Amino acid sequence: MLGALNASLKAPLRSLCAVLLLLTPCAVTADALDGVLQVRSAYVALEQSVFQLHARVDYPMTPAISAALADGVVVSFDVEVRIQRTRRLWFDATIADLTLHRELAYHTVSDRYVVHDPRSGDQQTFATLPAALMYLGTIDNWPVLVEPVLQPDDHYTIGVRAGIRRGHLPSSLRALLFWTNDWHRVSDWFTWSLTT
Amino acid sequence: MVPDHVAAPSRRWSSYAQGLLWGAIGLAALLMLANGVRNSSEFSRLEPWILLLNLVGVIGLTVLIGRKLWQLVHDYRAHVPGSRLTARTVTTFGVLVVAPLVIVYLFSLDFLNRGIDSWFRIEVKQGLNDALLLSRAAIDVRMREYGFRTERFAASLGFVPADQLVNRLDSERRATGATEMVLFDGAQRVLALSSENAADVVPSSPPAELLRQLSEHRPYMAIEPEAGGQYVIRVAAPVSDLTGSGDRRYVLALYEVPPQLAQLSESVQQTYSQYGELAVLREPLKNSFRLTLTLVLLLAMLAAIYGAIYSAQQLARPVHDLIEGTRAVGKGDFGTRLPLPSRDELGFLVHSFNDMTKRLRRAHAEARRSRETVEQERERLAIILARLSTGVLAVDRRLTVHIANEAAGLIMGADLRGATGRALPDLARDSDRFGQFVAALAVRFAAGREEWREQIDLDSPGGHRALMCACTPLPGEGGDRGYVIVFDDITALLQAQRDAAWGEVARRLAHEIKNPLTPIQLSAERLRRRLLAGMPPEDAGILQRSTDTIVQQVETMKQMVNAFSEYARAPDMKLTGFSLNELVGEVAELYRSQAGRTEIGLDLGQGLDRIAADRGRIRQILNNLLVNALEALEGCVQEVRKVDISTRLEDAGTGEPQAVILVCDNGPGFPRELLGRVFDPYVTSKPKGTGLGLAIVKKIVEEHGGHIDADNRPEGGARVRVTLPIREAVRAAGARDRGPAMKKESLG
Repeated sequence: MLGALNASLKAPLRSLCAVLLLLTPCAVTADALDGVLQVRSAYVALEQSVFQLHARVDYPMTPAISAALADGVVVSFDVEVRIQRTRRLWFDATIADLTLHRELAYHTVSDRYVVHDPRSGDQQTFATLPAALMYLGTIDNWPVLVEPVLQPDDHYTIGVRAGIRRGHLPSSLRALLFWTNDWHRVSDWFTWSLTT
Repeated sequence: MVPDHVAAPSRRWSSYAQGLLWGAIGLAALLMLANGVRNSSEFSRLEPWILLLNLVGVIGLTVLIGRKLWQLVHDYRAHVPGSRLTARTVTTFGVLVVAPLVIVYLFSLDFLNRGIDSWFRIEVKQGLNDALLLSRAAIDVRMREYGFRTERFAASLGFVPADQLVNRLDSERRATGATEMVLFDGAQRVLALSSENAADVVPSSPPAELLRQLSEHRPYMAIEPEAGGQYVIRVAAPVSDLTGSGDRRYVLALYEVPPQLAQLSESVQQTYSQYGELAVLREPLKNSFRLTLTLVLLLAMLAAIYGAIYSAQQLARPVHDLIEGTRAVGKGDFGTRLPLPSRDELGFLVHSFNDMTKRLRRAHAEARRSRETVEQERERLAIILARLSTGVLAVDRRLTVHIANEAAGLIMGADLRGATGRALPDLARDSDRFGQFVAALAVRFAAGREEWREQIDLDSPGGHRALMCACTPLPGEGGDRGYVIVFDDITALLQAQRDAAWGEVARRLAHEIKNPLTPIQLSAERLRRRLLAGMPPEDAGILQRSTDTIVQQVETMKQMVNAFSEYARAPDMKLTGFSLNELVGEVAELYRSQAGRTEIGLDLGQGLDRIAADRGRIRQILNNLLVNALEALEGCVQEVRKVDISTRLEDAGTGEPQAVILVCDNGPGFPRELLGRVFDPYVTSKPKGTGLGLAIVKKIVEEHGGHIDADNRPEGGARVRVTLPIREAVRAAGARDRGPAMKKESLG
């Protein structure tokens, strides 16, 4: 609950901090994530009682991102899937809420782009940024739900959204970015109904 | 009087509650900050709350300070005691606190900017770039070396038969120190494999760009970082097609970068990456520090200002209390108790004030008791003065009245209510009698006489009054010295003394004269009887006239003696109830026949059908008054001589009814010089009168408890007014009231 409240507090606090920062000579940073960030397509396939997500995400590819990567900054790419059971008289119930978190970095010594999965420890290298972004935007066979969880008569919706932010900082340093909203974008939800 | 802050404990509790609230907020922020410092991941989660609490603190303090300042300005404009001292103290404290804070803030801000900027100096960046280039160069040398060898080896494979390929790969792998060597055909099928790990039967899959590059008959070289800080040099080269079969084959070799070089390179890479991320944070870091510093400054400044206001108010509160207390004492509130603020000098001052008010309260109570005693004495004196029949006047040298009792006004015939503070001559303007009295006083004061006792005779249209007057100076100095003048109306007393004297004279006269009259008369008659017959006619005539004269004069003297006897007789009334109007009618009718040209008019009022009196005496009153009036009209030149008798029922002023008999004539009236003495014996203006008629009337009226007045009518003629009580009890009381006077008469 604290986390949810924490998230809900961020926006107004940012505004308050922004007002306070008017008192100080602060530099205003332009949005470096201009461009398309969207879930182009997504669907789930039932394979052996497991719903596996297939999605295609378009990530922005801007000179700012290239420059940031070249400077050694790690960029985090998140894909979040949320499955909810629709209720008539109350808020929808969340059945599953999963996030696929991966980080993209430019390895200067090898002149390659490295995609790292912090959870599994796997990493892939790519010679070009588009190849890395293509890899990041292609999600196949991501198990998100087991079939027995679903009830036959209920109605479900699946939502997928992608996010990108400048990350891989120590938590204490990342907190410094609390009141700056550049380098942090989230796409709209791509939702569809799930029929069992 | 109790100060507001003492009388409002709820306000004090509210202050405590506010202090606890802000203390709790500050403690919560500190705990969160401490927790965040211990665990950096917690800091990210808690920082919004810390900021929120700080913002709440800033806003709360701003609101509190705003309220305090508004109240201070309001008090300052309203000239509330202590507000100016508070304002001065707040201003001084504020300047003393805010100025250093602002200086420290600006200095810290500049230091912060310079410090953070110094972290990202261009030399550091250049050094990192150089180290990076060096690492890349070192690895590139290896990569090119491995690439050259792999290309050469791939070129040599064109002559190697298929059954020797594995051995050739294996020997080459061992010779070059590669971890894996694989020979692919054009369809990416593995033709031969040599791996450092004998268990590997499936080679690592080649990346897509490798295949793309080889399809273009270009060698592929790449350094691929791996998890754990390892580097792999992946090299691929096409195998020469010496057989002309057209089959394309490729050699893919994997080489490990030496651990030391890999470690150093990875270290450079990590440092470069961290530096890059920190560089990105440069402005956010500065802004964050600015924000934190600004918040800290704001909190410190606001807390300092609030503390300054609070301290100033605490400092000025005893002063405010003292001023309020002094005002309250000035208004006569000696019950003021101020709370002791502390044991310092202000506390001593407040303690002294409380001690002073305590003494004042005691003195005030003592003075009030004394005043009440004096008031009681004054009221007692006023009651005594009011009940006195003696007139009392207290005046100063300028004859300004300080005290005048009711009897003084009654005696003087003037209204002396509200006379205090007014001059006697002003008060005496409307009263002739009072004017004479004031003139007599003025004469004595002008002569420098301060203590005297004299009889003052006053003549006024109401009659002669005799006052026994005594003057005594009051204690005092200079112009403040006053006099008390005590006077009694002794007119009635003197009259009573005269009446008593005349009664005694009449009694003795009647007794001494009446006895020899009868022998004189008898002797005269005997002389006439014996000698008249034998005397010559001439002598007989003389004797006859002489004895007649003797007898006639004796008879006259008898009448006079009888009158004196009547005047001197003891009261012996026979009270009966009768109609006054009927009696008046009878007497008037009796005298109408003897009145000749004189008209006797009657005006009889209602309610007089039954009065309690001695009918014979009342008849004598009417007889005497009518005779007196008729005799007064004899010889008058008026064409119409008239005597009017009127009766009416009046209220005596005490609720008791009284009968009034008014006898008026249009004759010459009483001589002015006799007006005060017309009821005295032997006072008459008629040549034949005995002078006892009105004296007897007065005696009978007084025996009935009544009152008689005589004066002259403004239009001419005399007027006698007789008032008689119509009830026996009232008559008896009126007669008793005159008893002491009669006794005085006998004693005098």
